Amino acid sequence: MTDITNSDNHFSGANKYILDSELASIVNISMALEMPLLLKGEPGTGKTMLAYAISESLGMPLIVLNVKSSMKLIEALYQYDTLTRLNDSRFGDSTRDVSNIEEYIKMGKIGQAFCADKRTVLLIDEIDKADTDFQDDMLDVLDQMQFDIIETDKVISAKQRPVIIITSNAKKDLSDPFLGRCNFHHIAFPDPKMMRKVIGVHFPDIDKKLAQGAIDAFFGMRNIEGIEKKPATRELINWIRALDADSDFHAKDIVKGKIPYLGVLFKKSPDYQRAKDAVSRRRLF
Amino acid sequence: MFIRFFYKLKEVGIPVTPTSFLTLQKALQKGLILSLDEFYTSARAILVKSERYFDLYDQVFAFYFEGIPLPENDGFEVDEIAKAMLDEWLKNPRELANALGVDESELKNLTPEELIEYFKKRLKDQDGQHHGGHKWIGTGGTSPVGHSGYHPGGMRVGGESRNKSAVKVANERRYKDYSTTGPLTEANMAEALKRLRNMTPVGPKDQINIDDTIKATMRNGGEIELLFDRSLRDRLKVMLVIDNGGWSMDPYISMVQTLFDYARSQFKEIKTYFFHNTIYDYVWEDSARYRKPVKVDDFIKADPDTRFIIIGDASMAPYELMAQDGTIHISERSGKPSIERLQFIQDTFPNSVWLNPVSERMWGYTHTIAAISQIFPMYELSLDGLEKAVETLMAKN
Repeated sequence: MTDITNSDNHFSGANKYILDSELASIVNISMALEMPLLLKGEPGTGKTMLAYAISESLGMPLIVLNVKSSMKLIEALYQYDTLTRLNDSRFGDSTRDVSNIEEYIKMGKIGQAFCADKRTVLLIDEIDKADTDFQDDMLDVLDQMQFDIIETDKVISAKQRPVIIITSNAKKDLSDPFLGRCNFHHIAFPDPKMMRKVIGVHFPDIDKKLAQGAIDAFFGMRNIEGIEKKPATRELINWIRALDADSDFHAKDIVKGKIPYLGVLFKKSPDYQRAKDAVSRRRLF
Repeated sequence: MFIRFFYKLKEVGIPVTPTSFLTLQKALQKGLILSLDEFYTSARAILVKSERYFDLYDQVFAFYFEGIPLPENDGFEVDEIAKAMLDEWLKNPRELANALGVDESELKNLTPEELIEYFKKRLKDQDGQHHGGHKWIGTGGTSPVGHSGYHPGGMRVGGESRNKSAVKVANERRYKDYSTTGPLTEANMAEALKRLRNMTPVGPKDQINIDDTIKATMRNGGEIELLFDRSLRDRLKVMLVIDNGGWSMDPYISMVQTLFDYARSQFKEIKTYFFHNTIYDYVWEDSARYRKPVKVDDFIKADPDTRFIIIGDASMAPYELMAQDGTIHISERSGKPSIERLQFIQDTFPNSVWLNPVSERMWGYTHTIAAISQIFPMYELSLDGLEKAVETLMAKN
């Protein structure tokens, strides 16, 4: 760990998030340079959780933009609610002033982050789902920290530059202009040592033997050949929860090679079958 | 500061940009980077934008700051070429050994690592450029490695486009193993059908239906109620062209037809045609390929938006594909080689794919598969392949 303090805009991890010093300094430098941070990595390496952790530890409100494939950039910025306005003009029984368009402009997630009085954390999750145009256009907005509302011809500029975290699951790279504008980090899958810490944070009073056995078995099963979707941290946590809840299950069983609840770890049926075969055949991990 | 470091990164083939270098300078100037450790992580986050270059970055970093010599500074490209050669070796040891002019058995004793080292050495032995020979790696030769040469079964190992293409090659190879599922069977028909579901273009519900809106508003006694329709997008037209000549295709024909038959309602129309081995001047509407010939030239009249799907094993004698009178049926000879016909179809229907029941691992062995997959995006007739094919078919042009 570097000697960063939690007090003034320095990030050093949160309650349920284990942070390595490398990532901490990357987060800090991205905040200082006011550049978005693009995170890649296998599912389950805590890309999304990082944003939650930053917001928690620095006390900044978190705004999440879940990117969808059909999304248009404008939806992320603002929406002009024509329907309400039409309805109001018809009946005139609302408190809104129909002749004032601005009353009918609703901010989208990016708009909210810009308009907030306090500095916010803006998480743009799974950017790779959208098409490249969306990505590039969005980066333009984030670069300039402002956008126009066409209906009112008003420019919205950010009061406080939000801390922007972008995650991507894509195996292929994003476009060059996009990459040029953000910092990049690839979160590797945690090694067993790291994983012990993660489990320790999630289950503070778990039986040490059970945790160790489960982690060993987990990494063993990740190495089974031909698995399409390897179990990730989320699956391990759920699995340990299941083992923990089962009063008939004892920590020493796992050492003996008894591995129940495979379905928690493997969610695709061919994977499940393969894991089951491997477990029953070898009885060792 | 660190300008040499920057250029070293560029030299080994990491795509670094001046803008990002300036950002790094800004960070340094602001006093954000205080130790070498911080410099290591920060410079990487700012300069290197893909995890694929992390390893290379590490090497350059160690070289620049700690004087550790770059491991045989071959750069990324040579690495990749050597890897490609290893792949080729695994597929076809004799040919590669011949191309390098060494004894096959000599290479056989080496481990993969040693092989890579050996290939690298050979690559470096080669002084300057080499074009048109038949032993070395260069361009236009007959060696299986290199590019734009005659040896369609061989592979491209990067040429003019330099680093990028090698990276792309590396990238493609890395995910090659992902589609391990075998060919489609009746058992996973339902799964396959699900993959096809994605072949429906639907617009968002964003168009006001004026008639319905008026009606609904009247019924409400004047209170406005707006009704929306999905914006109109026409359903797809599909042409299914099946190779039904030869026993190798038999198990798949009825299955593929059933598959698309089930999915029929989601398409505007499906037309099925048949051919044998490869397409010449005609395809047939009847499976006996006798009664109802359709001229390939007439395809030009069809909607170019049609999704054109060819199912065949693409395996035949090379001359059937390349020669001017390649067809085995004398009545079909018109002087145009089949490969030109295929290109014509691909030009007519930009959204076309070729589904091949032959396992992808075997494609490298068959000359004609390589040649045809240059024209059509080719996918395995498996669940994974089908999924990818649908993705390609639905991609925006």
